[in-house]
Amino acid sequence: MILTVAWIVPLLGAVALAAFPRWSEGRARLWAAAVAALSLLALVVAWVGFDPAGPLFQHVEELRWVPSIGLAYRVGVDGIALAVATMSALIFVAAIAYPVDTLGQPRQYYAWMLFLQAMSLGVFLVLDLLLFYVFFDLTLVGMFFLIGRWGHGTPQVSALKFFLYTFAGSLLLLLAIIGLYLSIEPHSFDMRVLIERQPLAGTGLYAGLVFLALMLGFAIKTPLVPLHTWLPQAHVDAPGPASAILAGVLLKMGTYGMIRLPFAMMQETFAKYSLVVGIVALVAILYGALVALGQGNLKRRIAYTSINHMGYTVLGIAVASAIFADNQAARQLALTGATVEMVAHGLITGALFLICGSFWQRTGDYELDHYGGLAHRAPLLTGFTVLAAFASLGMPGLAGFVAEFQVFAGTFAVYPWLAVLGVLGILITAALFLGLLRRLFFGRLPSHLGGFGDLKWAEWGVLGVLSLGILVIGVAPQFLLTLIDASSALLVGGR
Amino acid sequence: MLWTLVLLPLLGAPLLYLGGRRLGRFGLTLAASLVVLATLVLAGLAITSGWQGSVAWSETLALTLKLSTAGSVFALTIPLVALLIVVYAGYHELAPRTGYRRRDRQGARLLGLLLAFVGAMQMLVLANDFLTLLIAWELVGACSWALISHKWGQKEVPKEAAQAFLVTRFGDLGLYIAAAAVFAGSGGFGYADLATLDGGLLSIAVAGILLAAAAKSAQVPFSSWLFAAMAGPVPVSALLHSATMVAAGIYLLARLQPTLSAVDWFAPLVISLGLATALIGGVVGMFQNHAKKLLAASTSAQYGLMWVAVGAGFPGVALLHFVAHAFLKAGLFLSAGLAERQIGSYQLHDMRLGRRLPGVALAAGVLSLALAGMIPFGAAWSKEQIAAAAGQQAVWLALLVALAGGLSALYATRFQLLAYGRPLPRERSRLPQGPRPSRAESGALWLLAIVTLLLSLVWWPEVQAWLAEAWPQRLPQGKLWELIVSLILVVLGIAVGFVMTRRQRRSSTWQERAASWFGLPTVIQTIARGTVIFGHSLARFDDRVVDAGLRGTARFARWLARRNAQQGEAFSEGVPGVVTRLSEWGGHWARQAQSGQTHHYYTGISLGLAVILAILVIGALL
Repeated sequence: MILTVAWIVPLLGAVALAAFPRWSEGRARLWAAAVAALSLLALVVAWVGFDPAGPLFQHVEELRWVPSIGLAYRVGVDGIALAVATMSALIFVAAIAYPVDTLGQPRQYYAWMLFLQAMSLGVFLVLDLLLFYVFFDLTLVGMFFLIGRWGHGTPQVSALKFFLYTFAGSLLLLLAIIGLYLSIEPHSFDMRVLIERQPLAGTGLYAGLVFLALMLGFAIKTPLVPLHTWLPQAHVDAPGPASAILAGVLLKMGTYGMIRLPFAMMQETFAKYSLVVGIVALVAILYGALVALGQGNLKRRIAYTSINHMGYTVLGIAVASAIFADNQAARQLALTGATVEMVAHGLITGALFLICGSFWQRTGDYELDHYGGLAHRAPLLTGFTVLAAFASLGMPGLAGFVAEFQVFAGTFAVYPWLAVLGVLGILITAALFLGLLRRLFFGRLPSHLGGFGDLKWAEWGVLGVLSLGILVIGVAPQFLLTLIDASSALLVGGR
Repeated sequence: MLWTLVLLPLLGAPLLYLGGRRLGRFGLTLAASLVVLATLVLAGLAITSGWQGSVAWSETLALTLKLSTAGSVFALTIPLVALLIVVYAGYHELAPRTGYRRRDRQGARLLGLLLAFVGAMQMLVLANDFLTLLIAWELVGACSWALISHKWGQKEVPKEAAQAFLVTRFGDLGLYIAAAAVFAGSGGFGYADLATLDGGLLSIAVAGILLAAAAKSAQVPFSSWLFAAMAGPVPVSALLHSATMVAAGIYLLARLQPTLSAVDWFAPLVISLGLATALIGGVVGMFQNHAKKLLAASTSAQYGLMWVAVGAGFPGVALLHFVAHAFLKAGLFLSAGLAERQIGSYQLHDMRLGRRLPGVALAAGVLSLALAGMIPFGAAWSKEQIAAAAGQQAVWLALLVALAGGLSALYATRFQLLAYGRPLPRERSRLPQGPRPSRAESGALWLLAIVTLLLSLVWWPEVQAWLAEAWPQRLPQGKLWELIVSLILVVLGIAVGFVMTRRQRRSSTWQERAASWFGLPTVIQTIARGTVIFGHSLARFDDRVVDAGLRGTARFARWLARRNAQQGEAFSEGVPGVVTRLSEWGGHWARQAQSGQTHHYYTGISLGLAVILAILVIGALL
């Protein structure tokens, strides 16, 4: 019940916003934030009630719907889904509470936000393949309108590019889902059945094609190089909070999907291609970091670091899938690391994009070279950006390190060379973030920034919560690792 | 319980920063030094009562702290040196309270970061597994970045801080790999697990540890980051060079030496790296004219000597030299800071402040003589021990160590005479005089000099006996001739130093090049610039080529749609039309065949029969 509450409450909230046309901006925002927080609360309750020693999927609910085709309303979570979903809900609360210019249409803006939250949580919570696909696609609709209506620059073009590109990925995904559905007798969309029975184990070309379609679909969403070019443009033109959601939540659907579908349902096939996937991830790590280093636009630079960080996640998943490696501890470490990376990246990049939004609200400019010396004028903004930047470059004591350390340690045990080359990524990330901090905050203050104001309380309050999360995961990640380890142990257990 | 030693300064740092803004100079300095003092007391308690600490993150990941011999030496030395430096920093860097309720945010930040630095370093030397070590290792690097960029308003400072951070982080990567290799081989991250490795994994782990240690200890070819670190304020340099950051490298080697030396290339590599750094660093110090950079080069060189000791199999000797060096180098940096206050720069040729600050000059003289390796200072004893340790390997190694000692005597003399010597007869001070050093500043300097003097006691046999009892370490047996050669070289170095500073000389181009690590910084900057340029071109490639595939697909789809609109539509309209016309024509033809004339029908029948016959014949023949 609790999981249904978590995703349906924001949907009802969105409907309410659409139904009451007289609500003022402040009221709409307060309502949306409260509804989003309620959904977060439901997930926290689910977390508290999760038994790490219990079965893989917990809080399961099932409701007959269309039995003739094996479709049913099924929800349930394992530790991985629960961790990512809770992080997503937190990002939504932060993004909704963050002040933004709604261009005179606050109700519509917050309604779309809540709609997007409902759909996103649905992706992480359902256990039915067809519903998974439906939620997966409906998130595109929400994000399309958020970018297109409240973006800047050329928002319509970016929104269209984002929609079409990722929709192409979704179509591949649909084909693969039908392939999976047909491979099992009796036909079923039930994820638990598919995970348990591994219907495509050892069936050559058919399994290969289904795997390829799944991975391509998720690789576009993640995104992996070279399928990433929709991302920077969508980010640059999206409003700050929408960017935070795009990077913090929507990208996770790609890697979460990889874990839930190909990794769990086609273990043998994935194992066959794990090195290939690992190499692609390595390319994403290095390429994303280097291209980010070459960007002079604040938001594009952060957008490309997302590609780098999602590369770590995919690397962890690829390593965890190498069932032939016979090093279960290393594979489990890699999978846990990949999941922590998802949570950490969501919080860190969410915070960074919200900060970008603050820059845009003040100056309407993302060019790094137009800034400088802000540390004196905006100490709070400087402090939060430094913290988020260091978290993103993997500084110990902050969330990113816990993830990356586990990914690298696990990777080295299986594919030593991928780990040795992959760690270069954290050096380049360090260079690009130190350069970013230097160009924004240090040196002399240009004259046109004389009136640059520091963060307002609503802004630093939100950033403070996210930073606290980053710090807590970095210092005492036990609560998170216990939850994730419970599921990753079962998943790599080679059932 | 051992965690208190780490957490006290680490938690004290933000508290001091947030709460210390209301405090004046005295209050801030007092609060910071009390925290460091408490850490020192806790370290003493921890050593006497054998504390331990452990926190489990998950089943695989656990953070463990444990006191080792090397760790105890460091855990005591760090807060002791830091205490004096914090007092100095409070009075050297913080402005006195001038107006009512003046907020000194910068000062609170500096002292807070110094505290955090101490805490991170304590964690580093107490760590008992590679995860904890790596956390502390990177935190130390981050603290030093923040401290070096203290004066972020100046254009160059943040760049130099980034350079220092990135060079040392390159070394950190080695530690990531080492930790991963230990996990791959043993399933754990503990130091004890390292000993269970063998073969390739052990080699990889040792190589990673060496890389990390070399980068932190500023050994060749990473030495030049120490020059970049000079952009930080004086107390930061003093702490960085004496007891933290640079010391981390030698700590790690000394701590893990028994395991590391199981790899057969460990000893030769460590000895040759250390010796090369000691000699090259000595030459750099010989020609360097920037006071802090001269001391920085000497730091690299002295740590090089410690590397030789570890490589030769005597980590205890390296620790002794570390302790002696920590106090004297901290003091020398503080004295350099006082000289800078007088003339406004670190140019050695503009100093010669012996007359103006006689007390400081005397203290600096004591420290310089100790750095020179002059008997009877403690540093001289530990240096002779290093020569003896090298002599156990080969005679020529001992001679090279003695030569490095001669070079340190040379640059120490140069530093002392140029910074605090008497002015040349022709020159009268033309620069305006700065404020006289406060009592706290010169007091801190003098205390460091006194500790250095006290360390001379190690020459006394009874102290040596006590030391051997309290702290059982293998010490090399030195030979008398080694000592004599060493002393001759020291005296020679001092003499050359005297000659070199007699006259004001312009340094030639090659001397300037030698003074900046023979162009090593340029190499590193070139690599950095190359990476940035590569990043820019990749970014262009990403925009123009990778995205072009997408744009091309979109264009192709549009073209296809247009073609379809123009030609496809016409085609699909046309096909039914053609079929209609064809059937019309067929109907017309069939109507014509029904003529009603008999001979037409007979012709048709006979033609049909002929065709049937032909088919039958063909069928029979086939």
